[in-house]
Amino acid sequence: MDHRPQAWGRPRDDVYGAYDASYMQTNQPNQHTQSPIVTGTSVLGMKFKDGVVIAADNLASYGSLARFTDVKRLRTFAESSVVGFGGDVSDMQYLDRHLTELAIDEAYTSTTTTPNAQPTLNARNLHKYLSKLLYHRRSKFDPLWNSLLVAGLDEAGAPFLAAADLLGTTFTSPSLATGFGSMLAQPIMRGLVPDEASVAQVTREQAINCVRECMKVLFYRDARSLDSYSLAVVTKDGVELSENEKLENQSWAFADRIKGYGTQTV
Amino acid sequence: MTSIGTGYDLANSIFSPDGRNFQVEYAVKAVENGGTSVGIRCKDGVVLAVEKVVTSKLLKPGANKRIATVDKHLGVVYSGMVPDGHHFADRARDEARAWRETFKTPISTSDLASRMGGYLQAYTLYQSVRPFGITAIIGGFDSELESPVDGEVGSGPSIGAGGKVQGSHGGPGLYMIEPSGMYWGYYGAATGKGRQAAKAELEKLNLSEGKLDLKQAVKEAARIIYVAQQDNKDKEFELEMSWISNADGPTKGRHVEVPKELLEEAERLAKKAISEDDEEEEGEEEDDKMEE
Amino acid sequence: MAMFSQNPVLNGPNYSFAEVPQHAVDGLREHRFNPYTDNGGSTLAIAGADFAIIAGDTRLTAGYSINTRYAPKVFKIGGSTSSQDDANILLSVVGFAADGEALKERLDAVCKMYRYRHGKPMSVSACAKRLSTILYQKRFFPYYVHAILGGLDEDGTGAVYSYDPVGSYEREQCRAGGAAASLIMPFLDNQVNFKNQYIPGSGVGHELQERERVPLPRNEVEVLVKDAFDSAVERHIEVGDGLQMMIITKDGIEERLLPLKKD
Repeated sequence: MDHRPQAWGRPRDDVYGAYDASYMQTNQPNQHTQSPIVTGTSVLGMKFKDGVVIAADNLASYGSLARFTDVKRLRTFAESSVVGFGGDVSDMQYLDRHLTELAIDEAYTSTTTTPNAQPTLNARNLHKYLSKLLYHRRSKFDPLWNSLLVAGLDEAGAPFLAAADLLGTTFTSPSLATGFGSMLAQPIMRGLVPDEASVAQVTREQAINCVRECMKVLFYRDARSLDSYSLAVVTKDGVELSENEKLENQSWAFADRIKGYGTQTV
Repeated sequence: MTSIGTGYDLANSIFSPDGRNFQVEYAVKAVENGGTSVGIRCKDGVVLAVEKVVTSKLLKPGANKRIATVDKHLGVVYSGMVPDGHHFADRARDEARAWRETFKTPISTSDLASRMGGYLQAYTLYQSVRPFGITAIIGGFDSELESPVDGEVGSGPSIGAGGKVQGSHGGPGLYMIEPSGMYWGYYGAATGKGRQAAKAELEKLNLSEGKLDLKQAVKEAARIIYVAQQDNKDKEFELEMSWISNADGPTKGRHVEVPKELLEEAERLAKKAISEDDEEEEGEEEDDKMEE
Repeated sequence: MAMFSQNPVLNGPNYSFAEVPQHAVDGLREHRFNPYTDNGGSTLAIAGADFAIIAGDTRLTAGYSINTRYAPKVFKIGGSTSSQDDANILLSVVGFAADGEALKERLDAVCKMYRYRHGKPMSVSACAKRLSTILYQKRFFPYYVHAILGGLDEDGTGAVYSYDPVGSYEREQCRAGGAAASLIMPFLDNQVNFKNQYIPGSGVGHELQERERVPLPRNEVEVLVKDAFDSAVERHIEVGDGLQMMIITKDGIEERLLPLKKD
């Protein structure tokens, strides 16, 4: 019997064989995110004459399992911008905490801290910051597995909408969609705002209605989507965020005409 | 100060035979020379105000802020040695950040006061350091709402306990920390040169009754700073004020500067109030003369 | 490299169907994060006697999807402010857009630092060498881009430098880059460098005399650029939407935006 203190509380070597201490070793390589685990699907965004509409459903999927059904994927920043997250939810939470810290740091130095005053970090600055962060992480082979939209106003007070993804790819457009939305919703939204010039003709109501319709289309066709969603409108007056929207006036009349899937053969 | 020259006042960590730490007492003297700071805790928020003495005509008006934001919902103001105050604010920010890092939730006003009290107290213990030459007032509004953890995405179980504590929490908080590290919670706090007059005015407000609202408190705070400043009228000063309301209030739960319009209105009323007081006093003097 | 492949979506090797693996590989299969993607688009640069033109389409793609119809690929570099009003160098980047953006920002910062330190703008040839160094420094994790640098040399002659992703570079009369490079380049060989153009009646076989190479005038080059892109748009799905043309002369940099087909 081994009475040395080092052996206390350990399985006996003579009974269980040599102790496998390999789990205590820390010289194994660091594990980076190689694939997302709990994920959010599309985010939609559209500019209109006075601001930007942005929407995302409230689902976080675990593979094909609809795991969390009240996950809020639109996050406000400094009460003046909104970031919509698609992709890995834990990375989204990391980014959210990071942005919270950033917003507090901004408040230290901000000369005008009164409500409604322009923050030092506008949506354009925020988007630049996030895309540099995403690019930096992809360059370390430790990506933040998200594709996100940033909605708000730029330094001139004009509507601003831009995307960034896990590779650090960035782009801006009058309407944007991530994930499935880029295929299903973006063509519909482009019908309303084909170019920057047309943004000035689009009213807030038109934009909201279009985005709501797109959320419906996505719910019909995206298997990883939900009928409960969040919608935010950003204007110079601030952010109006509603996190418990429900899809209305759904029509599944088309469903019985769909043939050829699964076990259905006729 | 009979003990001066006895050697017990040369360093921290040495008590005088009658149980005093003279370094701390001298630090309090430094505070007593600083511009007056006032904090008012009222039913729907907290107001912080400071008499910022203008030391040079070459300083830009409105620059060099004396009230610091520590977290979204927290602010500090202080009287005494300004560089010490800057360090105090920096440390408070670090504490607030570390709290968020650990607990993923904002630090409460009382917890910040506790942390900072402990920090200042440590500066009374060692040979190698001196106490802070400031008395700080910490104001905050701890959200009464069901506050999510930072980064939280869902609302949790809608039925059952779900780890949630029933009942109301949060509300406005006001604490004052002295160089010794001693801190108390207050309804109204004042420190600096004009503290005596300011405290007398604060007591008249009957803050413990909880009747004063935030807008009134802003005006009272401005008036009190002006009243407290009466004794050294020759010094030029700027009035700096910040406030914190709950999420439904004018600041949406954040610590921000009092808006310019309201600040100007409060200053106008304050000036009017003290000029009326002066007239009354002059009137009384005349009455006295007549009696003679 | 997959980036230069003609396969727009798979972004993989262009093997023939005969070569498609028929069986899954035995043993552990590791899924690795791929830090690259191909965002499509095409660029083109032509040097003239006293000008240089760099052009690029403005479409940004991801597979079959159009991310945006307006994402510029040509940038002014090395101005004293972010407005780039006094810039003297043009850079176009095509390939992986995020790397392109990072490369542009870096080169711009380098040029700005040069300006602040020396009190004068960087010469195009110095900038060209520096760009090569920047690319080569990331030899083992390259910027996945085809960069083209343009400007006027010390004599005021149009200069175009083209690069591979790891910094190999050459001064050329013209160069096409990106998705439709293989469509545009032969056209340029013929129309700018007069390849396969001979003086009629100058002989037979090896006796044939090549048409003399002369730099093209600006108006002709602008038409050439537009024609090249119109043709590329017809045949390549990743090219289209808008044509951004930057023209640098001794009077500064002019920018023109022309429509391309959006299909």
